Amino acid sequence: MAEYRAPLQDMRFLLNEVFNAPERWASMPRTAEVTPDLVDAILEEGGKIAENLFLPLNRSGDEEECQFNDGEVTTPSGFKDAYKTYAEGGWTGLGGNPEYGGQGMPKMLTVLVEEMMYAGNTSLTLYPVLSAGAALAIDTHASEELKQTYLPKLYDGTWACSMCLTEPHCGTDLGILRTKAEPQADGSYKLTGTKIFITGGEHDLTENIFHLVLAKLPDAPPGPKGISLFLVSKYLVNEDGSLGERNPVTCGSIEHKMGIKGSATCVMNFDGATGYLVGEPNRGLACMFTMMNYERLSIGLQGVGLGDISYQSAVAYAKDRLQSRSPAGPQNKDKAADPIIVHPDVRRMLLTQRAFNEGGRAFACYVGAQLDTVKFSEDDAEKKRAADLVALLTPVAKAFFTDTGLEACIIGQQVFGGHGYVREWGMEQFVRDARIAQIYEGTNGIQALDLAGRKVAGSGGKLAEPYFEDVRAWVASQQGNAAMGEFLAPLTAATDKLEETTRWLLDNAGNDPFAVGAASCDYLHLFGYAAYAWMWARIASAALAAEGGASADFYAGKLGTARFYMQRLLPRHLALAASVMAGSETLMALNEAQF
Amino acid sequence: MREYRPPIRDMRFVLQEVLDVEAHYQKHGFEEVDADTIQMILEEGGRFTSEVLTPLSQNGDAVGCVLQNDEVTTPPGFREAYQTFVENGWTGMTADPGMGGQGLPSSLGEVLNEMLSSSDVAWGMYPGLSRDAVYTLQAHGSPEQKEVYLRKLIEGNWTGTMCLTESHCGSDLGMLRTKAVPEADGSYRISGEKIFISAGEHDMSDNIVHLVLARLPDAPGGTKGISLFIVPKYLPDANGEPGERNRLKCGSLEHKMGIKANATCVMVFEEAKGFLIGEPNQGLRCMFVMMNAARMGVAMQGLGLGEAAFQSAVAYARERLQMRSLSGPRNPDQPADPIIVHPDVRRMLLTIKALVEGSRALGYYTATLMDAEHEPGDAEEQKQLTMLLGLLTPVCKAFITEAGFECVNLGLQVFGGHGFIKEWGMEQLVRDSRITTIYEGTTGIQALDLLGRKVLQSQGESLKLFTKQIHLFCKENADNAELKELVEQLSAVNREWGDLTMKIGMAAMKNPEEIGAASVDYLMYSGYAALAYFWARMAVVAQQKLAAGGEDGDFYRAKISTAKFYFKRVLPRTRALAVTMTAGADVLLELDEEHFAFL
Repeated sequence: MAEYRAPLQDMRFLLNEVFNAPERWASMPRTAEVTPDLVDAILEEGGKIAENLFLPLNRSGDEEECQFNDGEVTTPSGFKDAYKTYAEGGWTGLGGNPEYGGQGMPKMLTVLVEEMMYAGNTSLTLYPVLSAGAALAIDTHASEELKQTYLPKLYDGTWACSMCLTEPHCGTDLGILRTKAEPQADGSYKLTGTKIFITGGEHDLTENIFHLVLAKLPDAPPGPKGISLFLVSKYLVNEDGSLGERNPVTCGSIEHKMGIKGSATCVMNFDGATGYLVGEPNRGLACMFTMMNYERLSIGLQGVGLGDISYQSAVAYAKDRLQSRSPAGPQNKDKAADPIIVHPDVRRMLLTQRAFNEGGRAFACYVGAQLDTVKFSEDDAEKKRAADLVALLTPVAKAFFTDTGLEACIIGQQVFGGHGYVREWGMEQFVRDARIAQIYEGTNGIQALDLAGRKVAGSGGKLAEPYFEDVRAWVASQQGNAAMGEFLAPLTAATDKLEETTRWLLDNAGNDPFAVGAASCDYLHLFGYAAYAWMWARIASAALAAEGGASADFYAGKLGTARFYMQRLLPRHLALAASVMAGSETLMALNEAQF
Repeated sequence: MREYRPPIRDMRFVLQEVLDVEAHYQKHGFEEVDADTIQMILEEGGRFTSEVLTPLSQNGDAVGCVLQNDEVTTPPGFREAYQTFVENGWTGMTADPGMGGQGLPSSLGEVLNEMLSSSDVAWGMYPGLSRDAVYTLQAHGSPEQKEVYLRKLIEGNWTGTMCLTESHCGSDLGMLRTKAVPEADGSYRISGEKIFISAGEHDMSDNIVHLVLARLPDAPGGTKGISLFIVPKYLPDANGEPGERNRLKCGSLEHKMGIKANATCVMVFEEAKGFLIGEPNQGLRCMFVMMNAARMGVAMQGLGLGEAAFQSAVAYARERLQMRSLSGPRNPDQPADPIIVHPDVRRMLLTIKALVEGSRALGYYTATLMDAEHEPGDAEEQKQLTMLLGLLTPVCKAFITEAGFECVNLGLQVFGGHGFIKEWGMEQLVRDSRITTIYEGTTGIQALDLLGRKVLQSQGESLKLFTKQIHLFCKENADNAELKELVEQLSAVNREWGDLTMKIGMAAMKNPEEIGAASVDYLMYSGYAALAYFWARMAVVAQQKLAAGGEDGDFYRAKISTAKFYFKRVLPRTRALAVTMTAGADVLLELDEEHFAFL
């Protein structure tokens, strides 16, 4: 069976020793109440929910799947009660705006909670996580009336919300969407159209579901500038907040998928459904962008969470499974064979998983901290800088977390050999569940274009500057620490390579329209490996500072993994840099028929 | 519904234009196998796999196998398809003509394996396992065993299995526990439980012949005390027809990530009657013949699945309209351009194309080395071919399946959200493909075999046979102006391959852990280097064909373009592997077992 214990020690280490979060929170008035005791309590309780409430429903949810019957969706056994307990515990409003009943917790903390939930049960976690993203869009763009009506219900979990973007003929290219919104005399709109791949579009977890829907007004300009955002509720809401009439928005069917089978992926039909405009007309995509950075970081955590449960299960198995002898001679003389964790190649696999998971967790904290600065800081210059970093790093986080997350899950399965391929042990489910994260919320190819094209080339490299400044400044702060040499040298080399490649991209983007698209995916990965090198160097630095004492083993483990990362994973950036700078010619040489 | 068209043009290019198999078949005693025979095999095999098998695949995945009252029912259409396969003589394609087989070269058998795997890998495993049993019996069975069992297996009305794994041992067969007790009549009573037995029970044939590894009562411990037995489901009667039911049964079926239409069985032997194959305690040696063939079979699965993903992804990328080309609309009368115009989509498609077509060349080449055993040339030459086969088999098995898995994932990604739902069949390819890096020896095991046994134990001799061949090729083509860059890169990688081997070999003399620390990266490096060689060879052939004029200009130009893509965008992966494989064992061994996770 899958094994999972919330990695609380690592989470506390990151917050307290690597990123000095308590100081940071104390320095901003709106996070002043986020005390270490409170954070500890949240992490511990969150861990219990993931371990004891979510995880036990993970495999059964995969076996049972969501059921569709006559427009109604039934979630797998136990999901409804687990969700209720989760909502009653206040978890659905953890990061929400306190003015409407949210708890106002910083993102740096909520990323850790979300990671644990994804580890425990990704399908179940998707329902509240999407609601949280929607709440953010409403909080930022909706009218006061809509906020008063919908936000408190979202935060307390009695209602849920889906995001309706994709249509059968358009996913990546939202400019060509067809769903229509006709204005009505009372200021509302009637929406008509079909949306597909709607996660949580219909289910039995909450008494009401509403949808944030992208649609076109009758006089809208074509393309992405003619898209507006609407709120469409399954049950219309009466003046007194009670539920009224059923709105003609219905689930037509659910998809049969490779994974996340406990999450309902719906075709949603809008047949003249009443909706309300959110934000300005034709500004729908801009409204979505607000939440996208949060949402993408969250979806990325699915990769980290699944990578971690796969890792923990693989370590347990590798200590237990006896097979062949160590090359250095028997380690387990009284048994027929040694545990497979003695084999160097098994260790390579386990350490790869670990280095990705823990590097990713650190990077999530780092990006989360920037989001918190944007939201909570009162210093405009600081906010601006942090916003630039968020814009730059969010696509890296989403795509790199989920690509390395899938790699980690595949490796975890490999450690189990044939036993990883059968369903019993749960390892294959993690792979199937992780696979979607590279696709939704913008495929990783789209993230890479966003990074290389819009963010880096689009800003003439300006957006990347604060990142390089921060890394360089941090490296400078470590000079003189002899023990850090083995980590700083590879970090510096990789950062140099990233800068060189960035310059190459800027130099070529102007002359060759295909240069960015040809380089983007490898460039994003290169960025990811360099960023994780920084994270691992920071982890190593904190571990060296704290070495000894009761947690000596913990710190030794951190240093060993940091070393492994630098020597065995970071060199991948050399291949990526060579591939980026090979240019677009060989990609464009074939005509379509020649494929 | 997923579709498949056999890539006959590319298969012929590799077989006839690059590898010149017609001359090779002449040399090794397959005089009757000429261009027409090859064409017929490709066309008929292609027709069967694309028209009969491919339509069964998605439903087979949805329905799976069902166990009831000790009997396993395969998905609808499986039995009928197998009957057709038997009637058309495919089950004996590469088998001994003296026993009813057709005696065609193994390399053509591997081409069929590729097509079966593209169509329905789960179905293909039923005859695949039989073929492994055929090879084993051909090499080690007694004349009587051949008469009774081999004929039936070749004819196809009986099928075979290989029963190796037990619940506590897969990679480490030395620990196996199944017992064989001798009987007065010269037979044995076999007792024990085997797991992960593909095709262990099903409804496609009249009888199932299990080849079972077990221990004799007085056997020495470890791998030297293992013997191999024939244990049929029904004991043959006096006429050689299925008679009395033997005491063995399928205890349960595994529920798996993929290949759901193949019955993966727990087989329970309760004093079942068995017959020794070969000498006592020589079971593992008897299996070796089969193991190499089985590994090549799995390599072909990786290749076939990658090819299937490629075909679907290209078709989708040509049809799916989404966004405009970065150099302006290509398709002004439609709302968007087909996604194949986008460089990142092309990167995915070309990566698949380069890995699949490169793997096809590597795989088929290696398969021709198996043909040579049919009628060996002089002893020294045959020794070298056997060494090369030993070297390249683990590379094919592990690299082609790892590359294949990457390809099916890329294919799925091209489909976006549509790739994740069942309808299009892409996610099934990923799930089916995932087993290929695990069974018949995991990638880790193949890598240890390659670096430890094949390369270092031969003092690098086996590798030199191959790198010398590459070296000669580079020398011959040093003046090729158009392909200069490719040849130079190939030459550099080829040199580095030898240097890295030396370096790891030296380190391993001091510390045996260094082999396992380097092995998988070394294997992947070897795969990329080998593909570089075959891509350069294919580019040279394409260049010659273009120079000669004639048909298929686009095909040959695409070959050269893809070769260049491979060198620019895929081969650089060796830059990382060269560093990581020589990073040493310390960083892997430093952590105490208890320090992996702190929770």
